[in-house]
Amino acid sequence: MLEDFISGKKSLFTTGVHTELRAQENKQRRVALVQGNLTANARLEKAGVCARVYKNGVYGFSSMAECTSDAAETVLKAATENALFMDGHIQKGKNMFPAIAGGSTPLYKAVCDTEQKRYIEFVKEIDAYISEKYPKLSSRSVILSADSMEKIICTSDGYDGHVALPRTYIYLFLNSESTAGVPLELFDPVGGYGNFDDVFKTPSQVYPAVDALYERLMQKREGVYAEAGYKTVVLGGILSGMLAHEAVGHTVEADLVLGGSVAGQMLHKQVASELVTMVDFAHTALGEEAPLPVYLDDEGVPAEDAVLIQDGMLKGYMNNRESAEHFGMKPQGNARAFEFSDEPLIRMRNTAVLPGNDKLEDIIASVEDGYYLTNTNNGQADMTGEFMFGVSMGYEIKNGKLGHAILDTTISGVAFDMLKTVDMVSDKMVWSSSGVCGKKQPMPVGMGGPALRCKVMIGGR
Amino acid sequence: MKDIRDIAQIAGDALKQEGAEKAQYTVTFKETHEFNVDGGQFSLFRTLFDKSLSITAFKNQKKGSAFTNKLDEETIGATVKECLDSAESGIADSAYDIAPCQGEECFREGCYEPDADKLFARTKELMEAVKERNPKIVMEQMIVSHVKNHTLYRNTNGTEFEYFWGEYSVDMMYSAHEGEKMTSFFSSSVTVDNLDTPFIELGSLAKDLCDVEAQLTTVPMEGKFEGVVVLAPSSLVSFVAHAINNFASDSVILEKTSIWLDKLNTKVADEKITVSMAPTDSRICCSERFTGDGFKSENYNLIEDGVLKSFMLSLYVANKSGFARAKNSSFALVMKNGDTPYADMIKNIKKGIIVGRFSGGNPGTNGDFSGIAKNSFLIEDGEIKGAVSETMINGNLAELLQNVVAVSKETITDGNCVLPYVAVDKIVISGK
Repeated sequence: MLEDFISGKKSLFTTGVHTELRAQENKQRRVALVQGNLTANARLEKAGVCARVYKNGVYGFSSMAECTSDAAETVLKAATENALFMDGHIQKGKNMFPAIAGGSTPLYKAVCDTEQKRYIEFVKEIDAYISEKYPKLSSRSVILSADSMEKIICTSDGYDGHVALPRTYIYLFLNSESTAGVPLELFDPVGGYGNFDDVFKTPSQVYPAVDALYERLMQKREGVYAEAGYKTVVLGGILSGMLAHEAVGHTVEADLVLGGSVAGQMLHKQVASELVTMVDFAHTALGEEAPLPVYLDDEGVPAEDAVLIQDGMLKGYMNNRESAEHFGMKPQGNARAFEFSDEPLIRMRNTAVLPGNDKLEDIIASVEDGYYLTNTNNGQADMTGEFMFGVSMGYEIKNGKLGHAILDTTISGVAFDMLKTVDMVSDKMVWSSSGVCGKKQPMPVGMGGPALRCKVMIGGR
Repeated sequence: MKDIRDIAQIAGDALKQEGAEKAQYTVTFKETHEFNVDGGQFSLFRTLFDKSLSITAFKNQKKGSAFTNKLDEETIGATVKECLDSAESGIADSAYDIAPCQGEECFREGCYEPDADKLFARTKELMEAVKERNPKIVMEQMIVSHVKNHTLYRNTNGTEFEYFWGEYSVDMMYSAHEGEKMTSFFSSSVTVDNLDTPFIELGSLAKDLCDVEAQLTTVPMEGKFEGVVVLAPSSLVSFVAHAINNFASDSVILEKTSIWLDKLNTKVADEKITVSMAPTDSRICCSERFTGDGFKSENYNLIEDGVLKSFMLSLYVANKSGFARAKNSSFALVMKNGDTPYADMIKNIKKGIIVGRFSGGNPGTNGDFSGIAKNSFLIEDGEIKGAVSETMINGNLAELLQNVVAVSKETITDGNCVLPYVAVDKIVISGK
């Protein structure tokens, strides 16, 4: 466990400025078996201390790759000097942001380590299961990734705390060829929040996911190209989660709003169908622990849910303390840093479209000619709200019934136009938390949603 | 703090003591000075002091790797032990190896010590230049930094490489705004080893900013047609990267899913295409001098006059597959220019688009791609008509390389890559 060598340094904080001091350790363990070959067998640990100082509208930051009392003092001094350098040259003259009452956040989940040998044996068993049961695959990969970030946070005003975010995933990749000889690949992540032993008990718990993935791959072997055009589709929960994160979430991060995002013109306006409500959950979602719970951010703000869209109306942004002051909103714990050498940025936590009242079967049955899109392999969005998602798995819908699987394609649209076309929302959520969001720094995030009936452009061929 | 050589010595001794049969280890000391501009205003000054040790060790022909940035003697010993424990838990493979002895060599590149005051002045000058020349640009974020890096690599075959380098870089992300109209965001970057020239005059920064302002005016793009796409250097880099990843990289050769698996020394692209990885090219700033496997880096052609000359393979996959390893492990991409002036390239196009950025799904294993043409312009009858919006392009990466109709005489150099404009026929372009 990360030792607390920083709490005693509060007496060194300069008066009249806002100061954050953070000790942090990131760990990553990785084992990759590609066609039975061990291509990765690695353990990574990065730890250090950093300080950030806010003065008159500018920040100074400094970090050192050392977890010592001396290093804490050095970064405090350097961050203060950097803030003074910036203030001296820029002179923005902005006020200090409003104070937050002090408090303390306890450690909810400790980071526990596991021997590399156990990871390797676990992955080998899954690989053996795939190779024995599905010998006709053209290739297979099983990759285990266990990562964690643990932080001790001290602030001049706000909460202090000890927080940790461990997660463990096994990524399954299966390859085959279509009946026309075209190489195909599908992947599925299995796992979630927690240390290895929290998430996995026996390799056999992964086998149903392997079998389901293989079945989808076989369906895709017989797949057809989607017909290009503006189509009615049913976005499965993985894709509606991606939509919540990429196409809407980023546009309502307050730093991107200040940088020119389209959401700057849309606050308190109708941006979606009344069936759409979207929330960035902090640690608890719909009565259950969120996929990657965040209790305290790196500015000392206790985390709470941020309601972004309510009944189709854009209600708010995700903020840090400075942007919250600018927009007259409440900071809700979105300022997070990835490593000890990173400054906090406005980041999403667990961003989701909320479920509605429709049954998935009824939604599919209501589509005369369209597609049911279930999996994605990447997504990108613009500050205009224009988005593009790669679709790695989906099905035709003809006269309300699922038809052929489709080959890889792309969907695109403009989020705040497309969300107005949502006219059915399923009653079940699907969450994912296996990826990282990229925005200067990487960050593990959760995203989720129900199935949505809507209209988008589909790529075809 | 211990000297970089003391740390390497402690790691080397610990590896010997723990019984590593072969090993390589790298100690890195790095300092970063960085100015951030957010929403068009200076926001942050960062100074970072990093150091790290990475180790790869072999025992009984099994391999383990470990990385730490705690460099006290006790932690180094524990990390070495953990690395060898991991190796012993692994799977024996005769293909695991490191480079034979390459001797000892020291490299020095770029500007090792930063001039923070001048860097700040150049950054301020760039912001003022953008405001004056391109008033419709909103700078979402600009990061300007100097990185100073000192690396010591050693392996048990007797190689020692020491590398001192320092470079300045500028990364900007921005869009243009006019009333309620706004463009897609665009990123520009440049890396240099000195501060002699105003940043606005480097790479394609000035042109990129003007292009994005021009994208405020859009022209309708309707229907679907097969036409010529001009890949600007800013989008060409992602197509080349996808092609290499899908057809020539470690994973697809090891998995044998590459469609180029049997194409070495055969034609995979138009003869106008030569793709090199050239970390020591004088136009590339402070790139790799030795590979991850411990070889001294040499430039090589991946595709030469359209012929596939090399895959991009590590020593492990080379040993595994029987193909030659790549002569460096960088992505210092240099593409040979052609003989068509850019203006003539545009003049010769009946109907097509210039693609500034491609926002697409990861291409399938077979190379099929589809996505949105961002920051792009319509060409009709040899003239640039205006920017397009909500326009998709799709095709196949392998066919794209074969269907090149022209390569520009001009290249853009940003310190990381050297790239021309490439015109490709038979791409499906669809408007709304």
